[in-house]
Amino acid sequence: MQIRPILAALRRHKAGTVLIALQIALTLAIVCNALFIIHERLANMSEASGVDEANVFVIKNQWAGDRSTQQIDAQVRSDVLALRQLPGVRDAAPASGYPLKGGGWDNFVTMTPDQVKPTTDSSVYGSDEHLLDALGLRLIAGRNFRPDEVVVMGTQQVVIPPVVIVSKALADRLFPDGSALGKSFYAMSATPTTIIGIVDELHRPGVNQWNRPYAGQSLIWPLRPDDARGIYYIVRAKPGRLAAAMREAPKALYAQDRMRIIDPKDGLLSFARVRSRVYDRDRGMAILMGIVSMVLLAITAAGIVGLTSFWVGQRRKQIGVRRALGATRGDILNYFLTENLLIGLGGVFVGTVLAIGINLWMVARFEMARLSLAYVVAGVVALLLLGQGAVLAPALRASRVSPVEATRSA
Amino acid sequence: MLKMSHLSKVYRTEVVETYALRDFNIDVKEGEFVAVTGPSGSGKTTFLTIAGLLETFSGGEYHLDGIEVSNLNDNARSRIRNEKIGFIFQAFNLIPDLNVYDNIEVPLRYRGMKAAERKQRIMDALERVGLSSRARHYPAELSGGQQQRVAIARALAGSPRLLLADEPTGNLDTQMARGVLELLEEIHRDGATIVMVTHDPELAARAQRNVHIIDGQVVDLAEEPRFHAHAAAPQSLA
Ligand SMILES: Nc1ncnc2c1ncn2[C@@H]1O[C@H](COP(=O)(O)OP(=O)(O)O)[C@@H](O)[C@H]1O
Ligand SMILES: [Mg+2]
Repeated sequence: MQIRPILAALRRHKAGTVLIALQIALTLAIVCNALFIIHERLANMSEASGVDEANVFVIKNQWAGDRSTQQIDAQVRSDVLALRQLPGVRDAAPASGYPLKGGGWDNFVTMTPDQVKPTTDSSVYGSDEHLLDALGLRLIAGRNFRPDEVVVMGTQQVVIPPVVIVSKALADRLFPDGSALGKSFYAMSATPTTIIGIVDELHRPGVNQWNRPYAGQSLIWPLRPDDARGIYYIVRAKPGRLAAAMREAPKALYAQDRMRIIDPKDGLLSFARVRSRVYDRDRGMAILMGIVSMVLLAITAAGIVGLTSFWVGQRRKQIGVRRALGATRGDILNYFLTENLLIGLGGVFVGTVLAIGINLWMVARFEMARLSLAYVVAGVVALLLLGQGAVLAPALRASRVSPVEATRSA
Repeated sequence: MLKMSHLSKVYRTEVVETYALRDFNIDVKEGEFVAVTGPSGSGKTTFLTIAGLLETFSGGEYHLDGIEVSNLNDNARSRIRNEKIGFIFQAFNLIPDLNVYDNIEVPLRYRGMKAAERKQRIMDALERVGLSSRARHYPAELSGGQQQRVAIARALAGSPRLLLADEPTGNLDTQMARGVLELLEEIHRDGATIVMVTHDPELAARAQRNVHIIDGQVVDLAEEPRFHAHAAAPQSLA
């Protein structure tokens, strides 16, 4: 209703107007992107691993002293037998790595032996027929390995087993029509490997941003690791017995052979700890962005309260004059709310452009995803509401200025 | 048009009670031009703010255009101010952020008037005060006399039935004061009721009737207001 004269009056207060509008613009730009980053990081943190996380723990076992690969393999086999016999343990398996964090490696995957450009990438786990149960993976097609299919990995020569279990993500990637079971592919070798089983979920070891597109593409080969440096033991406790099993497991291993190192700090980790550790940076970033957003919003709100209070004080006389000329309290309240809305609209307009600009820069520079427009819309609404909220108290004070103020001199 | 009986106004602070008006009686008829005189601090402005519904009073009765105003709520009072009353202040009280045109438009917008009618009224009012060429000027770019004429135009544009002026010429030199008074007389001829507070005996003399206030009360002057208004300079009555 009174937009034109409000704009006309604002032109006489350029400095304050531009300052607040810019503050709103910057806040919008930063908060949109911060919220987007928070959302992405939270999404990372809730990524599925495929593991029965409540009951699984991991032992990082390093060998001490010199051993032949035969000796290592014999020790690994007796270690896992000892672990499986513990009363609190459901199953245990030796592994070259485990989801989210430890070890493992990646192979290129091709459909034919002489294909130059790989079809995709897959992380590789080597273990035995107990891994599925020890991690709690869910087999959705085909079968597990038979004990006779498991071979020693062999550190020196490359062994490519004829059978493989793949994650559904990898199966779907290689055979989008769903016909993966029984099909073969090549993983950096001249001999094919045939899919005998599919698990619904198995995250790669590691949660890096750059291989996120492949995060769920994994394969398991029946290769018992015999690396001279060490090995991971994946242990799954019976329900409710995780703590007891974690106490017993290292003792049982030391009882087998003392020539090993299980680091008291990092050598024994429940999977819950693993998850919380690997997402430390994501969590930290999300919290930091949350704090930055809060602080910026608070500063902007304080700026609006401050400037409007100043303006109300400065304009007491003209508020009185307006009241004398027939403005109701509602008219005065409306004036300041509308004025703030107009400044806010200017601010969010510039802010939207800035928000998208900042995001495009981060996309180019940090491989960030494109900012979803929903965040900009949410940010715009939030800032306009914040502005109206912040201006309410000073505007109410303005509406209570008495019309008699018009007769007071100066 | 404006009738106060036994009206009182008390200002209370922590330490003192000031009776700005006490047992105050006045009756201004429709179409009258009344000049209010009195020494400084006697209650002239207080009378005008109560008359203009800018302030409430402490006791007594006030009928404006036949309505007892003490029962009206804030919105109703705003509405009466907007539709029936025009104010002219000593300090002009133009809104410095708005140009002349927008200043005159303020009360018309609060009345919810259509844009075309607003424009018509603003142009008419400006023409009447002889400032049509200054519509886009800001108050600070005008002389005191011009500013007061804009203020009169603002009061005029709403065609008020009652015009209240508090020392409208107090900040103007004699020549400008005369111009402003001529305007008021013209408005009066067109039918408006005018109550004007003034210090200037010469101006008071040109009103139809003079009311003298001392110590918050109307003091009776003899039947010939014109003559006594000259003689009744505040000092001589002390
Ligand atoms: N807001 C107020 N608070 C306290 N006292 C006031 C107030 N306004 C006016 N007064 C007192 O009321 C009396 C009348 O004041 P006023 O109506 O302004 O006189 P005048 O306009 O005739 O000079 C004075 O004594 C003044 O000090
Ligand atoms: Mg006064």
